[in-house]
Amino acid sequence: MADAPSATAVGGRSEQEDLPPARTRRDRPLLRFVLRRLAVTIGLLFGVVTVGFVLINAVPGDPLAIHLSPSALDNPEIVAAFEEKWGLNQPLWQQYLHYLNRLLHGDLGTSQRTGQPVLSNLMDVIPATVEIAIPALVIGVVLGTTFGILSALYRGKLLDQIVRIVALVGLSTPSFWLGLTLLYLFFYRFDLLPSGGRLSPEFEAPPERTGLYTVDGALHQDWTVVADAAWHLVLPVGVLAYLVSVIMVRFVRAAMLDVLGQDFIRAAHAKGLPRGVVIRRHLLRAGLVPVITMSGLMLATLLTGSVLVETIFSWPGLGQYVFQSAGSLDIPAVIGCSVLIGVVYTGANFLVDILYALADPRIRLS
Amino acid sequence: MVPPVLAALVLATGVACSSGDTGSDAGTGTSTGDATTPSRSTATLVVNASFVVKSLDPGTVYEATGNTAIRAMYESLLTFEGSDITTPVPDLAESFTASPDGLEHTFVLRKDVTFSDGTPMTADDVVFSFNRMQNLKGPGSFVADGLTISKTDDHTVVVSSEVPKPDVPIIMAMSQTAVLNSAVLKANGGTDAEDAATKDTATAFLDTQSAGTGPYTLEKFDATSQIELKLDDDYWGEAPHFPRIVMRNMDVQAQNLSMSKAGDNEIAIDIAGPLLEGLPAEVHKSGAQDTHYLLMASVDPEVSSVTANPAFLKALRLAVDYDGLVKLFGIGANKAAGLIPPILSGALPESEAPSTDIEEAKRVLAAAGLNEPKVTLTYPAITRRGVDLGTIVTKVSGDAAKAGITIELDPLPLSAFLTEQRSGDLEFLFTPMPLSYPSATSRVNQFEPGSDTSMRSRWSAEAADPSVAAAVEKVRAATSVADYTTAIEEWQRVMNEHSPIFALAVGSSFVVGSPNLTNVNYSPAGWSVDLTAVGAEAGNG
Repeated sequence: MADAPSATAVGGRSEQEDLPPARTRRDRPLLRFVLRRLAVTIGLLFGVVTVGFVLINAVPGDPLAIHLSPSALDNPEIVAAFEEKWGLNQPLWQQYLHYLNRLLHGDLGTSQRTGQPVLSNLMDVIPATVEIAIPALVIGVVLGTTFGILSALYRGKLLDQIVRIVALVGLSTPSFWLGLTLLYLFFYRFDLLPSGGRLSPEFEAPPERTGLYTVDGALHQDWTVVADAAWHLVLPVGVLAYLVSVIMVRFVRAAMLDVLGQDFIRAAHAKGLPRGVVIRRHLLRAGLVPVITMSGLMLATLLTGSVLVETIFSWPGLGQYVFQSAGSLDIPAVIGCSVLIGVVYTGANFLVDILYALADPRIRLS
Repeated sequence: MVPPVLAALVLATGVACSSGDTGSDAGTGTSTGDATTPSRSTATLVVNASFVVKSLDPGTVYEATGNTAIRAMYESLLTFEGSDITTPVPDLAESFTASPDGLEHTFVLRKDVTFSDGTPMTADDVVFSFNRMQNLKGPGSFVADGLTISKTDDHTVVVSSEVPKPDVPIIMAMSQTAVLNSAVLKANGGTDAEDAATKDTATAFLDTQSAGTGPYTLEKFDATSQIELKLDDDYWGEAPHFPRIVMRNMDVQAQNLSMSKAGDNEIAIDIAGPLLEGLPAEVHKSGAQDTHYLLMASVDPEVSSVTANPAFLKALRLAVDYDGLVKLFGIGANKAAGLIPPILSGALPESEAPSTDIEEAKRVLAAAGLNEPKVTLTYPAITRRGVDLGTIVTKVSGDAAKAGITIELDPLPLSAFLTEQRSGDLEFLFTPMPLSYPSATSRVNQFEPGSDTSMRSRWSAEAADPSVAAAVEKVRAATSVADYTTAIEEWQRVMNEHSPIFALAVGSSFVVGSPNLTNVNYSPAGWSVDLTAVGAEAGNG
């Protein structure tokens, strides 16, 4: 360091002093936070892959028995070809290393159930899930938050009682029962909504850009397809939105009641601030921060698929894919889905942490 | 269809929201033709099925959903008409003959057949397709075990075997032996060489584009949700009624609800058993008895000293209340007289089915020294064809108790059950057993002592009564239909007497179709229903 050229003094101040101080990673809490979370995420995903691989292989079930007929099992050549094709003739540790190697190259393997690349399967089913998850989340959060706030503000009043009863009934209602009941009513009895699927059979899917039929239909200005796709969204989105909203209602109500009892709210009232100002400036700002956390978790839950709702409404999304893959011991597909779900959850948590920090100055990224 | 009010609402919303997009679309070169070209098709046949499909490659197909779609896109030398699987009839072949010794079957091909790309079909395509299917060693290639194929001239092929194979015509009618366009396949990674199992890469191509002679071509294949087929306008034969077919993945309860409305142009493939009873009378229901429900007892004393005693199964046969049991299976079920289902020639008449005699069952147990025997019955905890298997085994357990037999039930998830039963360690198991392919020989092979299925009971060739092997040999040596039928009947009687396999009942599979449809016939040939034959009443679809 002693041989390093010294800064030339100009006007009594060094050049170094004129320049803005070099920003180091230490000075960038957001960057440090992101890098730290990325490192943790990679470690988590490695854990997810390893645990997923071990668990799916520990499940009592022989892929040969599931994927081959009794007659095929009597033919040693067919059995050998199947084992060779899927690498089942290798020791487990070797299968694991091969899988990791492929994964590092972006290859999630080939599904034993569909015979197609898992990544390709996932790219097919994810848009379907996104198409019901996002509207359900938005509707559920808006309704849940609104009624949660109102319920807290009118605690003990008739509105509060009604909201609490509806929320309790919603929480106690199994999603499959609700789905089947709505299907019976709106499809079978009243003939208002379709039985399931993403589009009526007489329509062809719009040329794919996003995989979301409503969006792709709109991009191609095919409004009949948009209308039909939207019509098919009503029931699955309705069920999911209802389930999200009843959870949000209880959560928001509890959070609001907690804030309402705080000293700063009483102080605001004591200062003579109008009720609306107290609600807007103090109550909502403090009480809605936890909603971000809840919404993030809800989003992750919805994006990773709702098996029962997707099954009842014949919705070809991630939930059905995971369920069917697990049922047929489709090892590559199950591990691929585990990786995806791990990415979604860690991603959602990551996003929530950042939003949380931005929303609440008391929380430091460091 | 969207109700008009809702459609107008959504349409209005969509138009309003998209007004800003129109310009940008134009700017990015999106064809304005898309905006005016309606994507609505006419007269679509909708097939609702609980999807079991890996691929739409005839060389590897085995699953029901794939088989049904493939039947509409590909054709074989022979085929079956409607529900009849006893008599193969010419399809791509105009005639076929068998040599007197049953070792060679000669097929003369039609000369007017073309593939969907217009290429004429020749014997080379037939040989290529058959050899490729065999060498792919896929789940369905067992049907061609022991067979070789050769070309005599451009329009004649011969299928040969070292032992008589009377079911060659049946095999040549199956989807696995469908004829593919060899030139197209070779251009897309297909090979019929012996190393096809590792070198052939055409399956991925066939999952995006069909290469057959059938009336439909593949439009879209998504193994998890939907298969779309489109009519080939230049099809060489008589065109089917529907220009478009959509197969949708749908849960069986949703299928049931959908068919309950008795709409138009719709078929459901998985509704059967008790589920049929709630459907409107006007919907078409077509079924065939093609699935046995079996009890299998271990013959190994190390696994169970109770089930290894032949008197146990003999007594149980006498204890079961068959009439009550058949009611639980619902419409289309019957008592099982033997191991060949009634849809195949050689099936034993129902009069030979066992009957209930509790006192005799007790006497058999006492004579064998089996005092209050106790066994554990393992079964898959599933509902199949509308039948909850747990209900069936509970009934069997109750019936057995009347004769003094205690049966404890051990339900397992399907995947675990399939593995456990292969281990041969189960004392007593219950399982449904559909046909591997529509031939009595397939059953004989499947239940031969030492086979994978028989070893679930540890019933090896050494453990079996010699009369069983003799009965199997008679079946294999038969060269005439009459001899074959007699041998199959005799084999079943021997199996009833000496095997550890007990056919409780035989159930049916069904297809259900909208009232306006015609020719909705269930086929046990593997493809459930021939979609190319389905029509609609005039002015109604």
